[in-house]
Amino acid sequence: MEFVFSPIEKLGPAGLVVKAILGSLLGIFLLIGFIILRRWYRARYFRRRNERTLAVRTQWDDIVSGKIPLLDWRLDPLDCEIVESILLDSVETAAPEQLPGLLDCLRTSGLVDLRICEARMERGWKQRTALLALGRTRAAEAIPALAEALEASSRETRIAAVRGLGRTARTEGAIPILDAMMTGRLGVPDHTLKNALVNCCRGYPGILLNYLEQSRGPVRELLARVLGELASADLGEELLVLSADPLPEVRASAARALGSTNTSYTLPALHTLTNDPEWFVRLRAVVALGQIENLGKIRILLRSLCDTNRYVRQRAAWALAQMEPHLEQILEDVVATNDNYALQTFISELERSGAIEKVASALEVGSNPQSAEAALLDVVEAARRRVGMTGKAAAAAAGTR
Amino acid sequence: MLRFLELSNDTLFVYYLLSNLIYFGLLITAIFKNVIHRRRLASLRLELFKASPFTPPITLIVPAHNEERSIVDSVKALLSLDYPSLEVIVVNDGSRDSTLEKLQQAYHLQTVRLLYIADIATAPLRGIYHSLVEPRLLILDKESAGCKADAINAGLNAATSPYVCVVDADSILERESLLRIMQGVFSDPSQVVAVGGIVRVLNGSRVVQGELQEVRLPKSAMEVMQVIEYLRAFLVGREAWAGFNMLPIISGAFGVFQRDLVKQVGGFRTHAVGEDLDLVIRLHRHLQDQKRPYHINFIADPTCWTEVPTDLTSLARQRARWHKGLIDALWPNRDMLFRARYGRVGWAVLPYMWIFEFFAPVIEVVGYFTIGAAFVLGVLSRSFFLQFLLFGYAFATLISIGSVLLEEMTYRRYNRWRDVARLLIYCLFEHFPYRQLTMVWRLQGIWQYLRGDLQWRELKRVGISPSSAD
Repeated sequence: MEFVFSPIEKLGPAGLVVKAILGSLLGIFLLIGFIILRRWYRARYFRRRNERTLAVRTQWDDIVSGKIPLLDWRLDPLDCEIVESILLDSVETAAPEQLPGLLDCLRTSGLVDLRICEARMERGWKQRTALLALGRTRAAEAIPALAEALEASSRETRIAAVRGLGRTARTEGAIPILDAMMTGRLGVPDHTLKNALVNCCRGYPGILLNYLEQSRGPVRELLARVLGELASADLGEELLVLSADPLPEVRASAARALGSTNTSYTLPALHTLTNDPEWFVRLRAVVALGQIENLGKIRILLRSLCDTNRYVRQRAAWALAQMEPHLEQILEDVVATNDNYALQTFISELERSGAIEKVASALEVGSNPQSAEAALLDVVEAARRRVGMTGKAAAAAAGTR
Repeated sequence: MLRFLELSNDTLFVYYLLSNLIYFGLLITAIFKNVIHRRRLASLRLELFKASPFTPPITLIVPAHNEERSIVDSVKALLSLDYPSLEVIVVNDGSRDSTLEKLQQAYHLQTVRLLYIADIATAPLRGIYHSLVEPRLLILDKESAGCKADAINAGLNAATSPYVCVVDADSILERESLLRIMQGVFSDPSQVVAVGGIVRVLNGSRVVQGELQEVRLPKSAMEVMQVIEYLRAFLVGREAWAGFNMLPIISGAFGVFQRDLVKQVGGFRTHAVGEDLDLVIRLHRHLQDQKRPYHINFIADPTCWTEVPTDLTSLARQRARWHKGLIDALWPNRDMLFRARYGRVGWAVLPYMWIFEFFAPVIEVVGYFTIGAAFVLGVLSRSFFLQFLLFGYAFATLISIGSVLLEEMTYRRYNRWRDVARLLIYCLFEHFPYRQLTMVWRLQGIWQYLRGDLQWRELKRVGISPSSAD
């Protein structure tokens, strides 16, 4: 290389620039070469993978049933990767009666053990990939290895472990997550935690109640939120206790959960929650009222239609507008409230749902059309004038309501 | 005089070297960040987020001004996006064409008397419509205030979701783009206040009824140069700045924001030339003033495809406008420079934008003059000049090819060998005369700004509809 560098050295300070030019040109050629080689390699890899996938698919039933000896595919890295990915995809979509066969194949081929070993021994991306794959197997023996990874120093690994536990969709998968949450050291985004817990606790949401009693602050809110999503009538009077919780998030979740029950205490409990000082608790209660089948809710919703918060009013109007056979009566009751905002919201909702014409025609043929319609038009016009004011004055007036 | 010329040429050399070295650093950071993101994506199952009850609702705000050609297909494409809880608000911003009528025909609009509270003041609304066939669609018809920001603000006032996504009516979002961009929020919803997605060049690709069917490189050289520019700006620049939590801009064509936070800072600044840049800088300012921990994120895989100018006049107008937008956002926030309370934003990204973005065309044109003068006066070392030119060319080309490599290593939207080969070839020819033309257009932008000419000039567009942009 002497013959290249000695003339450059002779150039003095300019030699540095020449070296930089040569370095840049070399960089350009290397990058172009890398791009071309990479494309060529990938094309070749995917062609081969495609061929092997086809071969595996044609013998799939024999592979799962074990008729084809394990050694035929297990020790070939590409074949093994293909079989594992097909198996894991199948586990996620399998009917309950197919699941044992698929799990047997994963166990007898040693793929579960391999992933457990990787989850414990490896670090970095390889460990995280193993954790997610383990979760997807839904095997009970995967849970201890996943639980151990919750103690990892890397946040990414802990996230992978939580996701893995969520993918097991087993109630026992929730226990390590909940235990780790109680210590307050988990440090995983709430969204990931909530999704994992919902997946794991779907079969038995009651497991959350013990932890909810022991928890405080944000953990309690998070658990309440999950419980709100999963709760059913099975939780019974526990929901009543939660609906009186000091934390508004918990009360809101209780309201949400009450929407999926229809017991003797549902309506009174939701009625109480519609008077909650926090607007979002009232909102949840109104949404829940919309979900239950009970004519008694009309009276409560009419009160919520006059709420000080516009979101609560909107949801109350939405719930009332769903009550198809009673709309004329409800409209008259709304007019009787003498609340222009309530009427405005209800009429808007009727327009949005397309029920306005039916209600109007029903009023025309009703027993006392003049009084109802005239009153309606008067109040609507007054409301329109009042809220039709442009600018911030109207906005402020409406917003403070 | 001779001493001045020498000094000027040396300064130019140092400036150019520094500019390229910074970009090289950004390229390395971006490669690192992109590789990590790709690995994360490998384990991501979007269908789980789609099915999750905790995925927050999102409102798409679509400002539309004279969009009769594409509005129906655009709205149809937006409504078919994969997202569990979606609201689409189209703001007809005083269109003089039949934008509203086209929507009326396609979606059976009906007037509603919704209570519209103008938390952010906007030009008056003429009407609010909802669709009888598509309950997720709301149309606001308003008088034009002559700027896109006002239309977005109207959408913000009507939005009911905690997150809003601003999308251009003439752009196309990929089907999973919302789920993907929201991953940036899910990573830490308490801190992530805004997320930007990547904007790519639509020209040349095949579009059918508002949906992208096949990605291809455009035919004309000018459009391919813009593809390289977009790759460099998004995959390298934004990815790297976001890595340091210093992202200065989220493209107005595709970005997600916390609705209440945007309202807190007063929404998009009406009559700002570059309302997107302006908003993000104001968000930085607001959050740093409050000493609130936050992150403004960028995710490179949710993609928005947009049409870029196909003729020189439109391109010149666009680039002049971008440069006007830059100074229009930087000047009101000049007090953030080198202030401890604004941290790395005040010490790194804003100075970078002043020196290497805003002043770049000025320094470049001064450089051409001084090099020319030095040549005439015989004080220019020809060999050094040639070496400098060659080095500048080779280093800048290296960075452009690096951004193509990044695209190849990560998202690979250009699958055909021919497209990649053309991209690489154009990387070699990007520096002359395209770069010089861009410099002139940016200087025009500065001149127009100094003259107080902030007028929005129409760009000529081919249009993504009715069937193809091919």
